[in-house]
Amino acid sequence: MWNDQKSLALTRWCVRLFALALAAADLGSYWLVRWYMSWNTQTIGQGLREELLMMVSLYLCSLPAWAALYWLHRLLGSIAAGQIFVPENVRALRAISWCCAAACAVCLASTFYYAPWSLAGVAAGFMALLVRVIKNCFEQAVRMKDELDYTI
Amino acid sequence: MSIQVNLDLMMVRRHISAGELAERVGITPANLSILKNNKAKAVRFSTLDALCRALNCQPADLLEYVPEDDFAAEGE
Repeated sequence: MWNDQKSLALTRWCVRLFALALAAADLGSYWLVRWYMSWNTQTIGQGLREELLMMVSLYLCSLPAWAALYWLHRLLGSIAAGQIFVPENVRALRAISWCCAAACAVCLASTFYYAPWSLAGVAAGFMALLVRVIKNCFEQAVRMKDELDYTI
Repeated sequence: MSIQVNLDLMMVRRHISAGELAERVGITPANLSILKNNKAKAVRFSTLDALCRALNCQPADLLEYVPEDDFAAEGE
């Protein structure tokens, strides 16, 4: 029967899988970029400059992605320990939203040489907004829990 | 918080220990300590009812309003 524990375990496995995929992308970014550019000849130039720029954008996006995965891992660990509406989780969510915002900034800056980066930028920006709203909800929940804990 | 909980006084008058009072009221000793030390942010009527019943007193015997300035002065 599906339950909260299994759902949490699934989420944690997804985070690990994503980390593996990100590590693979980081290690194989050279081949990944060459493969992408080989079938995308219409929208991007085929020179070394474009390849380097793509790799720089990928690596710059990878940094906040690793940070976000770290904070997700911490957040899930805290939830698994039964600590849900606590200030540490609010900090984790704030950090994750800033990671998304940083990725958004990198993607939008990359549009100068490849316009489709704007799609990723908008998606990352929207994700930053979503997580920020969730962070605000958690902040209120922490205050309410604190009030409830001291209601005898 | 300007509301002071005078539990200690009533407990001495009724010769009842913290552990016994907590058991009679149905709260944990930790929560009773929170009440006694004025760290509580709210009290349920059911808890107040149980306290008055256990200590055979009125709510006014337990709760006292102390204006903020006087509260700070008392603390000093």
